[in-house]
Amino acid sequence: DEEFNELCFEFGLELDEITSEKDIISKEKGEEKAKGASDTVLYKIDVPANRYDLLCLEGLVRGLQVFKERINLPRYEKIIPAQGEAQRLIITEETVQVRPHAVAAVLRNITFTKERYDSFIDLQEKLHQNICRRRALVAIGTHDLDTISGPFTFTAKAPSEIKFKPLNQSQEYTATQIMELYRTDSHLRHYLHLIENKPLYPVIYDSNGVVLSMPPIINGDHTKISINTRNVFIECTGTDITKAKIVLDIIVTMFSEYCEKPFSVEAAEVVYPNGKTHIYPELAYRKEKVKPELINKKIGISETPTSLAKLLTRMCLKSHVTGNGNNIEIEIPPTRADIIHACDIVEDAAIAYGYNNIQMTIPKTYTIANQLPLNKLTELLRLDLAAAGFTEALTFALCSQEDIADKLGMDISATKAVRIANPKTAEFQVARTTLLPGLLKTIAANRKMPLPLKLFEISDIVVKDPNTDVGARNYRHFCAIYYNKSPGFEIIHGLLDRVMQLLEIPPNEEDGYTIKAAEGSAFFPGRCAEIFAKGRSIGKLGVLHPDVITKFELTMPCSALEISIETFV
Amino acid sequence: FTEMPTDNFVESSFWNFDALFQPQQHPARDQHDTFFLQDPAEAPELPAGYTAKVKKVHSQGGYGSQGYKYEWRLEEARRNLLRTHTTSASARLLYRLARQEKFSPVKYFSIDRVFRNESLDATHLAEFHQVEGVVADRGLTLGHLMGTLRQFFTKLGITQLRFKPAYNPYTEPSMEVFSYHEGLKKWVEVGNSGIFRP
Repeated sequence: DEEFNELCFEFGLELDEITSEKDIISKEKGEEKAKGASDTVLYKIDVPANRYDLLCLEGLVRGLQVFKERINLPRYEKIIPAQGEAQRLIITEETVQVRPHAVAAVLRNITFTKERYDSFIDLQEKLHQNICRRRALVAIGTHDLDTISGPFTFTAKAPSEIKFKPLNQSQEYTATQIMELYRTDSHLRHYLHLIENKPLYPVIYDSNGVVLSMPPIINGDHTKISINTRNVFIECTGTDITKAKIVLDIIVTMFSEYCEKPFSVEAAEVVYPNGKTHIYPELAYRKEKVKPELINKKIGISETPTSLAKLLTRMCLKSHVTGNGNNIEIEIPPTRADIIHACDIVEDAAIAYGYNNIQMTIPKTYTIANQLPLNKLTELLRLDLAAAGFTEALTFALCSQEDIADKLGMDISATKAVRIANPKTAEFQVARTTLLPGLLKTIAANRKMPLPLKLFEISDIVVKDPNTDVGARNYRHFCAIYYNKSPGFEIIHGLLDRVMQLLEIPPNEEDGYTIKAAEGSAFFPGRCAEIFAKGRSIGKLGVLHPDVITKFELTMPCSALEISIETFV
Repeated sequence: FTEMPTDNFVESSFWNFDALFQPQQHPARDQHDTFFLQDPAEAPELPAGYTAKVKKVHSQGGYGSQGYKYEWRLEEARRNLLRTHTTSASARLLYRLARQEKFSPVKYFSIDRVFRNESLDATHLAEFHQVEGVVADRGLTLGHLMGTLRQFFTKLGITQLRFKPAYNPYTEPSMEVFSYHEGLKKWVEVGNSGIFRP
């Protein structure tokens, strides 16, 4: 187990958990239900999101064996049948509106066992979830070729005109009925919306009118694959042709291992509405040339071109030295669709070398360090406010709509708040426009603490601003509240004076700060003042209105101060 | 290291994802993981010339890359969201650096809040803070990155480090940094890093 963990770590996989079926059931349903479940050890492995070739056991084992130099990377071959003998998939123009692209291939004389069959189905599901984006971009259909006969037609028809027996059902249904049938199915109902409201649904027929599948929902029962299937017809339909090709390539390269002629795939011909034809799978092998100095430089190692070529071959990128020994030619197999730039090749070389074997150095970059003025001011104020006897709080920037509007006696439209479209809970509907609710909620959660409670926070609030390039901006606010048996207006006022003293702002009207009596919906009438600094209003202070205090579930008087400190930077 | 300005929680998909080569169909751009905004829903302004370049690299490739070869949509890039990582601020800064007349090496850092649309539990919050560092210079290597990280973590008191290959859409090579936790007696991930893609 240790060894495998190490291997995964080096290769870039994460060994999440070592468990067994028995353990899993034990944890979820209790020991009783787990009796009789298998004890075989299961490894849960996390695969990086861009390595589609490692999603099934076959690909994973192949990759690791090449890495350990136990086998050579197999060469995937495309066999093009003689003229006229290839399976043909004809796309009609009706599909353009709903699912324009399709690719196909055949796995000839394949031998399945229970494990291989399960793995085959599993890979399709994983690809559906991953690169196919839950079947929205590409949907895979695999069929027993011996139960059908080509040429196949991929077309789109009105739902009422499509009738067939879906997989594992006992009778025929029309497409409309199928939508209803699977509306409550925990697995398939998530895909219904992809074609539900279109006038035409995609469907694939064979030459006798047998339905192969209605992508992306369900295959037909007639063509279902079993352990005894010998010839498989694979079709991938979708809205993204690049991804469809990658998906097809992955499936055929992974499972062609079990064909009579290992790693060979029989090509199929796809005919487009305009008459053009294309042979699939592409199984394209791409060649890239990279200079060994580049690889060495980017990683910080110095290996000879030959050893670099060897490292890359271990990562399934067959390479050899060319030119006068100053260039490496790399052949990128169809399984590595994630290699799109020389830097991907560099990374693979580094992985093969072993990240932890690279010598760590410090860059010789000379720079002068600076703190952002706004943050520097914030840090300085924080220390002094704590020294004044106030405790710092760090609260959430997202809150509910009521927190910044109703509870403070304001209307939501007056707040210019930024609204979230997809909150998971009501607590995260808007971004805060004032720090006050956060502090009040903190006090509400700490009512049992000894009085007086003196809290402050210096943090960002968010408001809409049509002048910025995104439409909103942050302002750094400072808020302090005093909660006690008596409101303590004088204490809050004193805190303001202290802050101004620290900022060296004199208490006069022209170039300093003043306060003027004002109205504030959250404040007690007659006990509220607006603060002006350098001629501009920067905030308010006062005794909070009893309504506000009750709405936040508090019971004692409270005075508060909130100002923007942006002007003092 | 100089501090970066990160005082914008609201970010456009362009700076948060597209400019960082994260494809528009990537799961992280899903409703489930990102807080998208209802109001303001779209960013009114995106840098015109740069946007065209980003579009090209995503859909056709460029700068030596094959690209993702899909149809890149401007409306998707305009969608506003609450930033999911402070790397969007790094992207803005690197863009500014690129437009300087003469290149000057820089080292930047930031520590600020990010937002992810997750359910709250013992180890997950919807808003949390990230520490981010960027070094830009000529001739930097993976070894330099590892060295810098080692020094950083040593100052935090974490000395046992191992690096593991990882994947980020915007960095290649990428590494996850693991440290041995004495209390848990196992290696835990303490950071993520990488060299930005050309």
